[in-house]
Amino acid sequence: MVKREETLLKMFPEEIRKRIVQIPDWFEQVQEIRLRVGGPLLIQYGNREFFVRSDRGGLCKDQKEAYQVSPKQIRETLEHMASYSLYAFEEEIRQGYLTIPGGHRIGIAGKTIVQSGEIRSMKFLSFLNIRLAHEVLGCADEVLPYLFDQDQKKLFNTMILSPPRGGKTTLLRDLVRQISDGSSQMDGVTVGLVDERSEIAACYQGVPQNDVGIRTDVLDACPKAHGMMMLIRTMAPRVVAVDEIGSRMDMEAVEYAMNCGCLVIATVHGNGMEDIRKKPVLDRMIQEKWFDRYLILKHTMTDGMTATVCDAEGNSIVVVSLSVRAGAFKK
Amino acid sequence: MSSKAVIFGLRCLGAVLVILGASGFGISMAVQYTKRLSQLEQLRRMIFLLKGQIVYANASLPEAFEAVGKREKGPLGALFLAAAKQAETLEEANFSAVWEQEIGKLEEKNGREQSALSRSDRQSLAGLGRHLGFLDREMQERNLLLYLEELDEQIAQLRGHRQETCRLYTSLGVMGGIFLAVILI
Repeated sequence: MVKREETLLKMFPEEIRKRIVQIPDWFEQVQEIRLRVGGPLLIQYGNREFFVRSDRGGLCKDQKEAYQVSPKQIRETLEHMASYSLYAFEEEIRQGYLTIPGGHRIGIAGKTIVQSGEIRSMKFLSFLNIRLAHEVLGCADEVLPYLFDQDQKKLFNTMILSPPRGGKTTLLRDLVRQISDGSSQMDGVTVGLVDERSEIAACYQGVPQNDVGIRTDVLDACPKAHGMMMLIRTMAPRVVAVDEIGSRMDMEAVEYAMNCGCLVIATVHGNGMEDIRKKPVLDRMIQEKWFDRYLILKHTMTDGMTATVCDAEGNSIVVVSLSVRAGAFKK
Repeated sequence: MSSKAVIFGLRCLGAVLVILGASGFGISMAVQYTKRLSQLEQLRRMIFLLKGQIVYANASLPEAFEAVGKREKGPLGALFLAAAKQAETLEEANFSAVWEQEIGKLEEKNGREQSALSRSDRQSLAGLGRHLGFLDREMQERNLLLYLEELDEQIAQLRGHRQETCRLYTSLGVMGGIFLAVILI
């Protein structure tokens, strides 16, 4: 754990680093760190936004006391995040993000370079959003029994829905781990994980840094649609897991996987069933009942984090408390 | 035996030692020349491998330097490995600083095998690091190709003059030794 904390910390220049460490339980509590050229250093901490104090570090609410980020610091942070090799992240920069060791996703924005109507690259990178990845072992414990068909002794095709930062990836990671390792209810099965943004397994030089189970094969940094088909052809997975689907190509790959007899666990952005019904590609999927279970994640101040388990038609079966308060995730 | 004979004997021994020492120096200069040539050839091979790692395997600089360093022995292999290790610590603001620091260590006698590269070779190698990591992959390839061209010229020049230079160093050493011995006797 300490190693992961240090790995993330050393991405920042010394001036920022020494202020962040003054934040109590920063690694456990911080969800997002935002750096903007000439702007204050902002931190999302336990679902609330704070500035980082300029004088002695730590958090504050007064913008006048906030630490200001310089262009040089953004450059240095980027150099570190890319291991001094921004050229190796051309494709990721084009898409506006990098993933660093530990699975933390860095959103980047600057001036885009457009050629023939397509984004070729980005320069003057001036805005960074560091989203800390969470690994919460056991966070899927409460929902897993509802994803298992007791009669046919098999898993249901499952889709997880939540808005960004809602815990989809964290839940998917733990589901993959438990399905792969097996439990008292079910034997472990082979899982093929397509980790396009290296967030789920957080592979470093091909080795998963997060626990994704003993029977999981990871196709790292591979486009989802291609990855699903490749895995099915080459690794014979029983379950295919994929994060944040949404395009027509993704849906075609999901359909292909299901037609090949694989079970699919996927995540998608959305607040609920109504949201995804508005998207034509996903609506067809609901109409044709591709998925047997939908998990809708929500977190409220009163109930903490909950998952509404829905059937193939989107009707609620049960609401499960995940007993993991957002913002209190272990990392 | 008379004292004159002893002195003459000692003088002769001194002369032989001077000749041997000077010849040894000349030979070591020739060996250094050959070693420099072979290290530049090794460096060229390593830069080719580095280009492959960066352009085709899309490896980051620490990954690429480590992969190449592991394949090659000697001070240059150690240099690449040390640069990769240092880059992974992320202590410096950019790769150029890491690279220059490690090139600087080539000159130090700190347990590592010393390189036979000349000061100009080291400066040129340090210059390569200043442009690495910058912009896109195409730019990395061009920088490496440009450096390879420089290396090729250097190697061709050294190869062209190898025989005469080595002979010159050896003969100068021997002749210089004899000259010194004659003067001293």
